[in-house]
Amino acid sequence: MRMNQIKVFSQDELEEIHSATLKLLSNVGIKIDCKKTQKLLEDHGCEVDNETDFVRMPESLVMEMVKKVPKSFTLNGPDGSFSFEVNTKTTQFATIGTPVKIYDPSKKKGVRKTVLNDTINQIRLVDTLEHINCSHVDVWPNDVKYTALHGHAMYQWVKNTRKPYGLGCYGGLPSQDMMNMASIACGGDEELIQNPRLVGFFSTTSPLHFPKIMTNGFEVFAKYKQPTIVAPEALAGSSAPVTLAGLLTQTNAENLGGAVLAQIYNPGARLFYGTVSHITDMKTGNSAMGSIETGLITAGVAQLADFYGYPSRGPGCVSDSKILDLQNGFERLQTLILAAQAGINYITCAGTYEATLVEALELLLIDDDLVGMVKRALEGIKVNEDTIALDVIEKVATSEKKGATFLGEMHTLKNMKKSLYMPNTVDRNRRSTWWKKGGMDIIQRAGKEIEEILRNHKRPDVPEEIESKLQKYLEKIESRTLKYYMEAEGLTSAAAPVPGSDTEGG
Amino acid sequence: MTLEEQIKEAIFNWDEDKLKELCTQAIENEEMSPIDMVNIIGDVMAILGEKFEKEELMLPELIVAANVVKSTIDEIIDPAIKEMGGERTSKGKVVIGTVEGDVHSIGKDLVASFLFSSGYEVFNVGVDVPAAKFIEKAEEVQADVIGLSSLVTLSMDFQRQVIEELKKQGLRDKYKVIVGGAPTSEDWAKKIDADAWGDDSLDAVTKINQLLSK
Repeated sequence: MRMNQIKVFSQDELEEIHSATLKLLSNVGIKIDCKKTQKLLEDHGCEVDNETDFVRMPESLVMEMVKKVPKSFTLNGPDGSFSFEVNTKTTQFATIGTPVKIYDPSKKKGVRKTVLNDTINQIRLVDTLEHINCSHVDVWPNDVKYTALHGHAMYQWVKNTRKPYGLGCYGGLPSQDMMNMASIACGGDEELIQNPRLVGFFSTTSPLHFPKIMTNGFEVFAKYKQPTIVAPEALAGSSAPVTLAGLLTQTNAENLGGAVLAQIYNPGARLFYGTVSHITDMKTGNSAMGSIETGLITAGVAQLADFYGYPSRGPGCVSDSKILDLQNGFERLQTLILAAQAGINYITCAGTYEATLVEALELLLIDDDLVGMVKRALEGIKVNEDTIALDVIEKVATSEKKGATFLGEMHTLKNMKKSLYMPNTVDRNRRSTWWKKGGMDIIQRAGKEIEEILRNHKRPDVPEEIESKLQKYLEKIESRTLKYYMEAEGLTSAAAPVPGSDTEGG
Repeated sequence: MTLEEQIKEAIFNWDEDKLKELCTQAIENEEMSPIDMVNIIGDVMAILGEKFEKEELMLPELIVAANVVKSTIDEIIDPAIKEMGGERTSKGKVVIGTVEGDVHSIGKDLVASFLFSSGYEVFNVGVDVPAAKFIEKAEEVQADVIGLSSLVTLSMDFQRQVIEELKKQGLRDKYKVIVGGAPTSEDWAKKIDADAWGDDSLDAVTKINQLLSK
């Protein structure tokens, strides 16, 4: 039977959090900067406080909108040849986009700044993986203009993979660029809306704040029905109560508030009930993503998402370690297995460490293997006449041949791949054989394998017409100034947390 | 599909019944000589051995294929060759077993499979085998090589006893003796006057090839 799911709440406790959340939304509400969005919400019965920008949402509206969120959808690669379904019953695995450094053993500090070629290699590697099916502009290249980063990422996505992609809803104009470029790649807006290509990240600012730049992008993603993760990153003890029930009530309000917005922007907009919430380390004040509590919070989110009936997203394979050590290993597995056992439907963050700020392609390959192991664990043990194998036990045990084993039995051959997960990156050789093969640790072996994988990877054939249209579009993005973006988003520099402002006028 | 391709496919699919049926019919209809059959099977087993070495094939896939082939050769092909008054040529005859006091068979069976796949005639005498039985079998089949496996430190000394027994009977120079198993080493092999040491199953085959080409 399948392994039991981890539950952190009883039904009564879920109801308690649910009713506290509705109270929070109707009494306090969510601070929403965008006046246009405020007006839309007001038209639907919300109460807007013009001084504080808090929008209070009545219970009936919240529940009406939550019901409109689709329970399942597909995610598709640029050319549509690869797709998978996201629903409330299965689990899919993906990466995450924030790393600005990449593992490089040749450097004294073990890392270096990322460049566009790293972004490309990451996309190509994900294209070849067995279990990890989507990447999210993971590696942020430092050698392209910050304001054109999304354009470069989209262009490389179309050129290098058959799998879907994801980006942050960071601004209305960039989000529209993403839609336009995806539309060029897949053959039009209608196709894009029907068979979505992109995962959006709507990062809320906890506690209870939806910044303008994010709602601008969220609206575009909703309009095109590209599945968007409402992704609170609340930290217990600093940006949320230290008590995990409090954190989950607060982020539940952000998720439900996000659902209200999305369904008002466009009924039927596809969403994930999301989390990347974790804790604040009480000794240092730093965030601790690889903590055991991250797993508990994620498990709570899986139950809450299930309560509201739409797909959940949570982190796995995350670590706070700065190097590829034991801490890195156990934190990534502990967060992964808790998320998977809790029944999260879309688990992200493979390939990262140092709280997702650093990427290692080696870890990405290893994480694919970890996912394989975890999937096997979740399958549990199948019991039937064939798996009990009485006849084979008898045959081998009573064999006239002394020392007979099950290795040469047809039953072993037929069942081994179903019964046993065959890891790809793990070493199980005898010491002498391991030495003969170079005496390498798992990171070194993964590094060698990646060289081989990337050498053999074949990029999809992108029609020339599509490529030239995308190139032209990218040139258009490249020519814009930061000021142009600020005006497009209706932001003043003080209100816009846009890094890389030195690129202005570039 | 040619008969040769059909034979290959039956082995790749571990289909013992099919392989036996194909060989029986081909012999009856005189479509292919049993000697040619042995050669084709040898080629297929060599391919499987290479795949295993490259980790493209799992251990049971190799062992089951070897079992399928062995029972077809024993039951169908060998009798046909004998009937024709011939004898199957092989690279050599190897008696292999795990020494007294030790019941570990996996490594030894793997070596046996590899030897068989590489064209040797293999006489697997099993586990916990006393010295006298190794010698008796080697004499009976006129073996070229005796392979002694041991996986526990306590049983290692029984490898030496087999060699001492051979010396006692004046047969030491008649056979090449190779030893192997986790606790053994090159030094150990030298110490007990063995001819070679196999580090792992593939190395054992390489060493036996070398011993017989000397």
